[in-house]
Amino acid sequence: MKESATFIASAAITIFFTGCIVIAHDASTDFKQSLAAFTGHHWISVSVITIVLFMLFLGLLLGSKNARKSLRVYDIKLWSTALIVVTLLMMLGILAELVARYLAD
Amino acid sequence: MLLAIGGIALVYERWVGHALIAIIGLVLMIYVLTTGAMLKGRIKRSSGNVFKLHKRGGIYFGAFILGSFGYGLWIRLQHGESILSSIHGKLGLIILLIVVLQLIPSLFLKNRTRYRRLHKIVGYALAPILVIDASWGLHDGVIAGTKSDLVLLHSISGGLAALALVWILLEMLHPTDRSLARARIASYFAAFLVTAGCWIAGGYNYLTVYGSQVKPVILTGPHPWVHEIVMEAKEHIFVFLPIIAFALSITLSVLDRDVFLSDAKYRRALAMIACLALFMVLLMFLMGAIISDTGKTGMEV
Repeated sequence: MKESATFIASAAITIFFTGCIVIAHDASTDFKQSLAAFTGHHWISVSVITIVLFMLFLGLLLGSKNARKSLRVYDIKLWSTALIVVTLLMMLGILAELVARYLAD
Repeated sequence: MLLAIGGIALVYERWVGHALIAIIGLVLMIYVLTTGAMLKGRIKRSSGNVFKLHKRGGIYFGAFILGSFGYGLWIRLQHGESILSSIHGKLGLIILLIVVLQLIPSLFLKNRTRYRRLHKIVGYALAPILVIDASWGLHDGVIAGTKSDLVLLHSISGGLAALALVWILLEMLHPTDRSLARARIASYFAAFLVTAGCWIAGGYNYLTVYGSQVKPVILTGPHPWVHEIVMEAKEHIFVFLPIIAFALSITLSVLDRDVFLSDAKYRRALAMIACLALFMVLLMFLMGAIISDTGKTGMEV
């Protein structure tokens, strides 16, 4: 299957958006409270959002040939590198945000 | 797993002896398994007499398991406890018996043809048992006393997921005709363990036990940063892991066998993703040990 990097691409995009949500919810108390109000706990909300985003991007990429073509999902090397870079950047971003907040407090 | 155990040992000096034993045991096990897989043609043979290396590795591994069991027995006797009173000790005894059953017939049977299949199955079965025992030892040494059995299930799942990811890595690096089928099985295991054992069981523990019992102890203790930074980072960074495990698993399940065998670039890309997932599992292991030890120390004060 030439475009089996679709799943890797979906994971990379999902992790990027989830990472942004996590950083935003750590930075903004209001956003964190709204996430907590959504399911009862902010962590459950983030988990649910992650699953929904993954399914959404997967559906989008599997359903649209144009999206696959424009995102070059046939290129496994590109998307595996993107997944690694995005994951590591988001990890560092989350960690930096938490350290900054701890030091500020 | 070896890196995680080494890291934990560096953080907690009192755990250095146990960590060294776990690391050496796991390294020897990997060596024996790898040479065994080379003998069966599962992975590419290296030069030299592989059978001799496998036999020698097996003997060293057996001797080491016997020695570490004796060391465990000695430690337990020093504390006035029976070695079989703990699950770690019982598993240690099971491992010792399996190793003896693997070694003795191999050394003394002249015609090993009929015994080979059993030897192979028991050999592979030994790997998860040893990982479970090492995780249990980790639990006893660092975590015990602070949490429920759910944490034990959580850490064992992490250890086995790490093993499954190493398995995927080996299949990617040394491809044979049946490598893809085996890598698929390993990836299903990894996805299941990460989801059920790490995400659901760990999440349930985090939402119930951790928040009410451990978190207040850490926040009022001398190291509140362990919750504020390490735990907060762990709970959110972890969420990426099941997505990576699922993406890897689905990619392997739809991958064409010919592409897998002929395209080294593809295999390298998948190996890199398996490495990323493995790194994250080990990081979670290390973070979990730091959190549990801080909680345990806080509760003891």
